[in-house]
Amino acid sequence: MSEHDHHDAPASPYNRSDRSAEHDQALAERVAKIESLFIAKGLVNKAALDKLVDLYENDLGPMNGAKVVARAWVDPKYKQRLLSDATAAIAELGFGGLQGEHMVVVENTSQVHNIVVCTLCSCYPWPVLGLPPTWYKDAAYRSRVVVDPRSVLTEFGTTLAEDVEVRVWDSSAEVRYLVLPERPEGTQDLSEDQLVKLIDRDSMIGVKKVQIS
Amino acid sequence: MSEERLTRSDIAEMPGTCALPRKSGEMVFHREWERRAFAIAVSLAEQGQFEWSEFQQQLITSIAESEQGDPRNPRRGYYESWLLSLETMLRRKQLLGDRID
Repeated sequence: MSEHDHHDAPASPYNRSDRSAEHDQALAERVAKIESLFIAKGLVNKAALDKLVDLYENDLGPMNGAKVVARAWVDPKYKQRLLSDATAAIAELGFGGLQGEHMVVVENTSQVHNIVVCTLCSCYPWPVLGLPPTWYKDAAYRSRVVVDPRSVLTEFGTTLAEDVEVRVWDSSAEVRYLVLPERPEGTQDLSEDQLVKLIDRDSMIGVKKVQIS
Repeated sequence: MSEERLTRSDIAEMPGTCALPRKSGEMVFHREWERRAFAIAVSLAEQGQFEWSEFQQQLITSIAESEQGDPRNPRRGYYESWLLSLETMLRRKQLLGDRID
C-alpha cells in the first residue's frame, strides 16, 4: 500500500486486494459465468452493464452539504451544534456513510475566510460534497493554496478585503473539513429549500462565496 | 447543484460496513471482475429481479462472516463478499435455475 492510500483511506480492509492470481482468476470466472448466463437470457448486455458502471463511477454523489449549510443559516441552534460537533450534527440530518472520518465545520465571517485542501492527496468529505472536482486533486492547487491562498482565491474570482484573515485547513484520513459560507445579503426572504439551491460545492470548499444567482 | 442524479442513492450511499469502497469519493475496483459483479447486481436490482434491501442485507451478513470478529483482517475482500451475496440471491430467487452452485 502506498503512502497515498494510507493517508487517504482510513485503513478500510475492503479496499485491500491481496488475493493470489489463481484465486482471482477463479472469482473472475464465476462472475463471467453469471454474466454470460444472463446475457443468454437477454436480461443484461455488455454495453448496458458498462454504461451502468460508468454512471455510478461518475455519479457526482450526494450534495448534502448544501442542506447542512442552509439549515445552519436558518437555525442558530443547529449552527451551534454543527460548529461544536459537526459529525453528529450532519448525522442528525440523516447523512452518514462516513467511514470513520471526523467532520469539522469552519465558519466564514466578515473577518475570517476558510479554505479546505488536502496537501498530501485528495481527502474529501464525499458524504457531504460528492466527488471532488479535478482541480482539488491537482498538485498545483494543493501546494499553492497553502503558500499563497489569496492568489488562488483570485483565480476563482474571489477577492477578499485586506483585513480578512485567511485560514487554510489541511484534510486528512481522520479529519475532513467543510466550510460554512456566509449567507449572502438579500436572502432574508428565501426559504430553506431556496437557500439550498444557492449553495454550491466551491463555496463549501472555500474557494468562492455564495452568490445570489 | 440540482442536477438530476441517474443513480440510486440507496445503492450509491449504502452506510456502514457495506458502504461501497471509495477513495475520496471515487469508487475503487481492483479488478475488472469486481466492476462486472457490481454492474450485474445493480442491473438486476434496477430491473426489479430482487429488492436492493434484500441484497444489501445479504452483503452485510457476508461481510460480517468474513470478518469473524476481526474487522481489520477479513478473510475475503469486499467484492468477493459481494459476489457470494449475488450468488446467494440468484439461488434464492431461482434467477438462473440450478446453474449456479
